[in-house]
Amino acid sequence: MPEIKVTPLGAGQDVGRSCILVSIGGKNIMLDCGMHMGYNDDRRFPDFSYITQQGRLTEFLDCVIISHFHLDHCGALPYMSEMVGYDGPIYMTHPTKAICPILLEDFRKITVDKKGETNFFTSQMIKDCMKKVIPLNLHQTVQVDDELEIKAYYAGHVLGAAMVQIKVGSESVVYTGDYNMTPDRHLGAAWIDKCRPDILISESTYATTIRDSKRCRERDFLKKVHETVERGGKVLIPVFALGRAQELCILLETFWERMNMKAPIYFSTGLTEKANHYYKLFITWTNQKIRKTFVQRNMFEFKHIKAFDRSYIDNPGPMVVFATPGMLHAGLSLQIFRKWAGNEKNMIIMPGYCVQGTIGHKILNGQKKLELENRQTLEVKLQVEYMSFSAHADAKGIMQLIRMAEPRNMLLVHGEAKKMEFLKDKIEQEFSINCFMPANGETSTVATNPSVPVDISLNLLKREMALGGPLPDPKKPRTMHGTLIMKDNSLRLVSPEQALKELGLSEHQLRFTCRVQLQDAHSDSDTHIRIYTHLKSVLKGYTIQHLPDGTVMVESIVIKVSSSPEEPNTKVLLLSWSYQDEDLGSFLSTLLKKGLPAALSSM
Amino acid sequence: MYEISSDENEFEDWFIESLKIYSNIHEYQLEHPTRVIEWTGEKNVCVAGYNLSKNEILELLLPLKLFADDNQGLCAERDFKVVHGGFTDGSIHCLKHIPGTRCVVTNDGSSSKLQVWDVGGDDCDVIKKTGDIHLKTASLDKGVKIDSPLTGNASVLHGSQVNDIQLTELTSGTPLYTLGTDIPDVLSSLRFVSGSVFLACSVNGDVYVGDTRSPSYLQKSPAGGREGNHWCMGVRADSSLPEPSSCSVARLSSSCQAVVSDLRNLKSPVCQAQLNVQRKTTSDEFLIVTWAPALDNCLAVSGFDGMVQIYNTASWRPELMEFQPIFIHRGHMMSDAHFDTSSSVVTTHVWHPSRPWTVLSAAGDGSVHVWDWVDNTTASSKSLA
Repeated sequence: MPEIKVTPLGAGQDVGRSCILVSIGGKNIMLDCGMHMGYNDDRRFPDFSYITQQGRLTEFLDCVIISHFHLDHCGALPYMSEMVGYDGPIYMTHPTKAICPILLEDFRKITVDKKGETNFFTSQMIKDCMKKVIPLNLHQTVQVDDELEIKAYYAGHVLGAAMVQIKVGSESVVYTGDYNMTPDRHLGAAWIDKCRPDILISESTYATTIRDSKRCRERDFLKKVHETVERGGKVLIPVFALGRAQELCILLETFWERMNMKAPIYFSTGLTEKANHYYKLFITWTNQKIRKTFVQRNMFEFKHIKAFDRSYIDNPGPMVVFATPGMLHAGLSLQIFRKWAGNEKNMIIMPGYCVQGTIGHKILNGQKKLELENRQTLEVKLQVEYMSFSAHADAKGIMQLIRMAEPRNMLLVHGEAKKMEFLKDKIEQEFSINCFMPANGETSTVATNPSVPVDISLNLLKREMALGGPLPDPKKPRTMHGTLIMKDNSLRLVSPEQALKELGLSEHQLRFTCRVQLQDAHSDSDTHIRIYTHLKSVLKGYTIQHLPDGTVMVESIVIKVSSSPEEPNTKVLLLSWSYQDEDLGSFLSTLLKKGLPAALSSM
Repeated sequence: MYEISSDENEFEDWFIESLKIYSNIHEYQLEHPTRVIEWTGEKNVCVAGYNLSKNEILELLLPLKLFADDNQGLCAERDFKVVHGGFTDGSIHCLKHIPGTRCVVTNDGSSSKLQVWDVGGDDCDVIKKTGDIHLKTASLDKGVKIDSPLTGNASVLHGSQVNDIQLTELTSGTPLYTLGTDIPDVLSSLRFVSGSVFLACSVNGDVYVGDTRSPSYLQKSPAGGREGNHWCMGVRADSSLPEPSSCSVARLSSSCQAVVSDLRNLKSPVCQAQLNVQRKTTSDEFLIVTWAPALDNCLAVSGFDGMVQIYNTASWRPELMEFQPIFIHRGHMMSDAHFDTSSSVVTTHVWHPSRPWTVLSAAGDGSVHVWDWVDNTTASSKSLA
């Protein structure tokens, strides 16, 4: 049976490092190549020894696909391609290709320069890795080779995030990466057509949650900003250039007037230039509303949000500032933080995950005293708020996606099977499909039932139609007989006669003969009659004839009686049948071997 | 009758106001609406669907951020976690947790069968049915009200009418107590106030006091001349005492009247009020009145419309007068980005057993809200129990 194999790499119950191997139709694909942010040693990389114990990965993989720019999905890519070794194609969407290297470089700087690590990829490796990238457009089928094709779908979540369909022949797999089913202020919701993949692969991290509404998260953000500003404090929001910054700016802009806020809101100039650049490039990746406004005005020309100048850091009074970088590890946001951290009226709002080693990470862990490079200590007195705005699908979202795509099987990675039995039951009951939940390092094998399209000759089709029965129905398979000719790249179903003709072969008839010996004292002709009578009484419903020359025929089976002059009491019955009547023929020979009943009424 | 209006400004007004009137608020959307919210732990609740055929029972863990208190800022966890889930073949109108166990008992609102479930522990996340209890009830098509004694062995008190109230032991199904009376009045609420003393409220407003230690004991306090209404009851008892010395009983009618009595003298109400409810549905099935367990004189009503109203009864008088609520939760009427009065009715609400201002509410559109309201009235009404 053909099958598809899926293996999430990693060990134990680890979440936080996505790297999934899929074997389909003889092809091997790696989906995502993430870094585990919780480890400082080699455990942060996926365990590629599953693919090969040593050496490069190029000959074992047909392609690598990256779903989006978050480090837990692409963080190990340069390590994999340049340090382990892979020279094949790497696919990702255009925005992902543009943004990935920036994040990777930032991450490299933090890990190597700040934490002093050595077994890590270099800036040049990031560049070399990106040279192998082939960018994808949405809904465009890309031929990786003669047999493997891939297609990207919109996933929402972050700019450029995609769900990917991988197809070999009529078998296919869809991998969701991270996605969300509800649109937010600057991105749309994930969408896929009824592509009916053999397997839909999704994360299970949020599968057993019910997400708090976006408006409650926004309310909390506005409330904290409002409270701080009301008491005369300053709010620092460190952001990455793309992503939540836009979302939060739009939110503040929408409500600033309603809330009657007078305090100024700023964003750092680096932020706006980059943001404008990327959003212009990738406008098709934002939602409808943004696209409409973008046509009318510049993305960052807000009424209430102005460009920041370093000299404003010391301005008295309340203000709100969006500044890069997002994890407080360098640059303007760190500079502002150092100035504002000592005042308990102030607040810092972290809208996303911070990598270990950064100041962002430390203060989110509750650290109140920080040691800076120049041996100075910084006391953290300002209020620290961690707010998660990342858009993820929850239990309901997974059900919605399954309804959209109609997969034949579901596969959830990165979850504990015993904590997800209810979800598995739910999916199996509602959709009547299997739900697999492999542990990291474990392989799930899914049997597929691929259909092979063949052309059928008109004659054969007519013959089948003439047999009658119900009209052809794609939902009701029907058995038929024919001869399959596989020539070059075509598959044709024709009648046997036509096949013989095309191949220049002559038709042979196959007949079986069988001799049955009977002890019988009657004459040959009497024996014929006795056989005829016997068979007529046993085989009701069959055509049985007694021919003038004495032969008995059952359907097309011929029975002839003969005897030798030396042994007149031993009769030899010769049975002959064509192979189509094999069943009946065997039955008759077995029956006649038992002999004829003694008392038979004569005709 | 209620008007249907859709006003974006009204939504934005509420959104801005919510910054001040809630210290915390979380809103969730279940796939199917629930009409039960039952505490199974300090941070866990059970909800269940009421479709006619297949439904889910879910045990949800409340968002950790809510309980983080001093460290709230550092905790970003705002979501419900589905810790256990199971399937039922019928509707669930009533769901009761049996204290001291991982058991809940349910009824589908139209038959006399109780289902017993094991919510489950750490090793498995599936809620499994462990059995049925078939009851001999007087009426076969009305639902059964359920409650469980506050102390003692696992047993369940149930009834659809006053004359079929019975206490059944959970594991064996043996009847432990039957109320010996022939009063056919339909029940709307059943509540224990101690390990053995319970109150039963009939839909016509009469309250009965019974004691599972003596089957012949039954004390009736009629509602008194308020015909034609549908009544329900909310009880606040001090569960730390073995015998209830004082216990506040609130009765709510479908004509928006609330009557407060003390258990020691149910016949003469302490105070009453005409509640200010503007938009009202025609159905009485979701009417519910509850007392705040950790606040004095604070009761909540819902089931008239898409709101939960909180009243302070300290200022109420023995004569019937109109009073305004001290807080209104309008969240269920704010569907997405607009104000929609035609959307669903609040199906149920519960108070947190120990956090004074935390309330959970559910509505017919599948929404479940968890909110900490801010008491902006005078300092005296902010007292804790």
